Amino acid sequence: MNVASKLRDSTAAARPGRPAPSAKPPFLGFGLGLRAQHYDEILNGNPPIDWFEVISENYMLPGGQPLRVLDRIRERYPVVMHGVSLSIASTAPPNFEYLQGLRDLARRVEPQWISDHLCWTGVHGKNLHDLLPIPYTREALDHVVSRVQLVQDYLGRAIVLENVSTYVQFNNSEMTEWEFLSELSRRSGCWLLFDVNNVYVSAFNHGYDPHAFLAGIPADRVVQFHMAGHSHMGTHIIDTHDHPVCEDVWELYVAALKRFGRVSTMIERDDNIPPLDELIVEVNLTREIAARVLPPPILHAR
Amino acid sequence: MSDFASQQNDFQRGILTGDESVLTEILDSPKEKREILFGVYKHAYGSRLVEAMRNDHKLLHGYLGDEMFDAMGHAYVAANPSQHPNLRWFSQALPDFLKSTEPYSDHPVLSDLAALEKALNDAFDAEDATVLTLADMAGFAPEAWADLRFRTHPSVFRLDLWTNASAIWLALKNDETPPDAVALQQPCHLLIWRQDVTPMFRDLGSEEAMMWNEAAGGIPFGVLCSMLATYDDPDGAAARGAGYLHGWVTARLLTGVSVGD
Repeated sequence: MNVASKLRDSTAAARPGRPAPSAKPPFLGFGLGLRAQHYDEILNGNPPIDWFEVISENYMLPGGQPLRVLDRIRERYPVVMHGVSLSIASTAPPNFEYLQGLRDLARRVEPQWISDHLCWTGVHGKNLHDLLPIPYTREALDHVVSRVQLVQDYLGRAIVLENVSTYVQFNNSEMTEWEFLSELSRRSGCWLLFDVNNVYVSAFNHGYDPHAFLAGIPADRVVQFHMAGHSHMGTHIIDTHDHPVCEDVWELYVAALKRFGRVSTMIERDDNIPPLDELIVEVNLTREIAARVLPPPILHAR
Repeated sequence: MSDFASQQNDFQRGILTGDESVLTEILDSPKEKREILFGVYKHAYGSRLVEAMRNDHKLLHGYLGDEMFDAMGHAYVAANPSQHPNLRWFSQALPDFLKSTEPYSDHPVLSDLAALEKALNDAFDAEDATVLTLADMAGFAPEAWADLRFRTHPSVFRLDLWTNASAIWLALKNDETPPDAVALQQPCHLLIWRQDVTPMFRDLGSEEAMMWNEAAGGIPFGVLCSMLATYDDPDGAAARGAGYLHGWVTARLLTGVSVGD
């Protein structure tokens, strides 16, 4: 039973005075997470990468080289801002100083969109700097919907939220993660970043079929894919982003393309960062697989 | 407190204190016990923050080695839970921690080394500002100079060290064996700043350090020269002051000058 579909509706569009839902972000092609190790190579070589995703917090700084480099890359490539500290599901009051910093950076960068994760990072004034899991309850859903609406009103745009890798499940959950995400997107108007690796990791850790996750997400709400590597511990998988994308995740990417169609896709590497050429090989593979799986009119449509 | 808030409270307490009452709220997985799975979060917390400290304090890490640095890092994490959403600011209190916490406080060079690395990190991403040029200075008539006040670049920081930490920093930076740590009879006056995109530092003599401190505090050039006259040859004070000022302008340390209050 899809419990989420029986929940009361409080969609953004239903509220008087709230801005109309944002238009769906455009297809950007096949991109890469920007990392400082590659700054010089990118600025000197203009590598064939369609777009870059930047970690917002790495540029929420007073000034200096990081912002200057970002300005120069922004002149040449589309950029998407991806945060790790929005803590959208925290029950603590939002950090408005953080939101102001995020808004200021967005005004400078003019990103194609702003994303973060469906998670919380701390309460009681503390920050654990981790993407912490939530129970999939009606109470949590109501709370996160209201927080997303607040953040979207503050930023003046719809945000994009990503499914995280989780290692535990709560015994009071009332719906699946995909039901929660679907309802969250429907009610708040946020878009979804579908992290293919995270689906694989969470499905393994909790013993469900990743294809059920795929089938449960509304196709028209997904605007971005993440592809990344992980560390297998035998009984569980940890989302370390320090390896190349593995074969199983490539297979799930094919299924995601068939389910969601043409979606802006990027390679995300956060540790053991290899030379840029190695990552471009992976970016090209995302492109080649999409070309193979999707009919040309869909892949190349404007 | 709502159920959701209570659950987050329990989860966070489990990570920060080891109190595992949250385990009653989570499930075993098909392949693993909940204690192990929750342990992924507990382990990630400390290791992620210590890793951030390694990145911020590469030379202190090199000086102490992995084992000692990580033990120190975990002690710092326990004493200073992060209160800022950006990991960039997590290790800001490390120099104070090392100065006030045994056994590290028995080795003042550790706090000094951390303070120097912090100042260089802060210079790296400090606010940008348009710098003053020699041409700007040439626009003032000689009789106006006594009333000139200066604004310093946001990246500039003054640091006084009572150990040879700057010599140790230089040796570590050049992959050389660092000298033994020693206490200094007189403090080493350092000026740290960012030139274009590169953080750097240099020693100041006690006279120039005094003049910088006072100039940064808004004292006008004429008074600065009178103060210099108490340090050395009074007749050469104005020339020495002009010389220091010339050096600051060419090093791009100043962002503004004004006449009067």
